Amino acid sequence: MTLKEVLKGAVEEIASGFRRYPVWVALAHESIGDQHRRTTLGPLWLVLNYFLFAGAFVVVFGHRNEIENFPAYVATGLYVWLLMSEAINTAVPLFRREANYIKGTTLPLFVYVMRLAMQTVIRGAYSGAGWIVLMLFLVQPSLEQWLMAFAGLAVIVLALPAVITIFALLGAFFPDFEFITSNLVRVGMFLTPIFWIHGNDGGLRQMLYEYNPFTHFLAIVRQPIISGELPVMELLLCLGISAFAWVFAFFLLGVLRKKVVFVV
Amino acid sequence: MTVSIKAHSVGLRYRILRPLTLRPKDKRLLKTGGTISGSGRRQHVQALEDVSFELSAGDRLGLVGSNGAGKTTLLKMLYGIMEPTSGTLSISGRVDALFNINLGFRPEATGRRNIELRGLINGWTRRQIEEAMPEIIEFSELGDFIDMPFKSYSQGMAARLAFSVATTLTPEILLMDEWIGAGDAAFQKKAGERMNALTGQAGIVVLASHNDKLIQRVCNKVLVLEKGRVKKFAPLEKKRA
Ligand SMILES: Nc1ncnc2c1ncn2[C@@H]1O[C@H](COP(=O)(O)OP(=O)(O)OP(=O)(O)O)[C@@H](O)[C@H]1O
Ligand SMILES: [Mg+2]
Repeated sequence: MTLKEVLKGAVEEIASGFRRYPVWVALAHESIGDQHRRTTLGPLWLVLNYFLFAGAFVVVFGHRNEIENFPAYVATGLYVWLLMSEAINTAVPLFRREANYIKGTTLPLFVYVMRLAMQTVIRGAYSGAGWIVLMLFLVQPSLEQWLMAFAGLAVIVLALPAVITIFALLGAFFPDFEFITSNLVRVGMFLTPIFWIHGNDGGLRQMLYEYNPFTHFLAIVRQPIISGELPVMELLLCLGISAFAWVFAFFLLGVLRKKVVFVV
Repeated sequence: MTVSIKAHSVGLRYRILRPLTLRPKDKRLLKTGGTISGSGRRQHVQALEDVSFELSAGDRLGLVGSNGAGKTTLLKMLYGIMEPTSGTLSISGRVDALFNINLGFRPEATGRRNIELRGLINGWTRRQIEEAMPEIIEFSELGDFIDMPFKSYSQGMAARLAFSVATTLTPEILLMDEWIGAGDAAFQKKAGERMNALTGQAGIVVLASHNDKLIQRVCNKVLVLEKGRVKKFAPLEKKRA
């Protein structure tokens, strides 16, 4: 496979994926519907789940904590973390779950990626409503703070399709990958500064803080809310990580897109 | 542009990433399946090899061959789900396909919603879907079941829905894989008529089946596959019963 074929394949895949937006919009709604069809509260469960999680964290770790405005710090960090970790956890088995469609239709793979991205955004909007309520209650952010925080969320949303593509492709080709990521995500919850802060002591904790990409994605939403400042360095870093993810996703897609049907 | 399918020395090899588990086999009696080669983690199945044929408007091709001969693989390649690993394949015309009935339907969604989803997947516009909806429902004869979840359908009901969706916005090329057996006699007759009408409008039908009677009734050409190779490609002599 020449580089030109790879690039051409990736462009074609992504372009036709975007062109088929009615398909992924419909499929995303369908999946959300499937998940909540039999429940009484429906998507409200997402809000409730978030409240429970955030509440538990605040109660357990909030005791004599020095972090400024700890409940808002945790609630925001947790919201971003849940959004991203859920996207990753659902991305890994994505193509295997869609094997029925992949083996029976000629939809571009990117349609499934966008379907999951959209699903993540819809679910994120529900729990996001809970997050907004909490923030109004805990911090009363100014309009400026809201705008900065939402800019951070927008950066995350922009990276979503690339991240999903990467994890879904790796998940399709390496069945072990699912176990690796689900374990890492579970551990990651504690290795990511959701309820702690680095100590500036140059120790392991500071390393975890600085070299963990999630730290920065949390920061671009959290910092505006907590301190009212725009985290310029972090934003640039996150944009850089996203750009890198897109390039990687692009190549993987170009190389692997026609092979997925053989492995799912 | 006229509707046509041209396959030139097409081959397809499945790579098996994990070791295949196979019962001990007697090579002399091996009639089913493609050719397995390689060992350990690098096994592959040559499902199709050196397959050449041409079809033009009005052709109704019957694909026959024992289990594992490569019929489904060939259809999936014609549809574009898989690319040939060797040879060249050129297809002009809008293709629709009916494989295993459950491929591409959502069990939780109603029949009506599944029609919408199929339509979107096939690239129809919202308007086309709305316009085709009553005809699809009528042709399938599903009645009130159209608003029930797809998972509550019997095999035959699912086949009816699948066939109606695939044929209502007359595709130029229709591929079908051993599905029609699930429909009852009345529906098979109706479906046969619709397939004839479709090829009458300068389309192509390719039908894989183990049912000789069905092939006799519907097709005008037959392609016999044996272990992934073409054993015979010829016009079908109509047997008079
Ligand atoms: N996903 C796959 N991975 C590996 N080998 C496969 C795969 N699908 C099919 N094969 C192999 O390819 C060959 C052709 O299979 P195919 O499904 O095309 O047969 P078929 O003619 O449709 O058979 P049947 O009459 O049973 O439907 C078989 O040897 C089969 O084992
Ligand atoms: Mg078959």
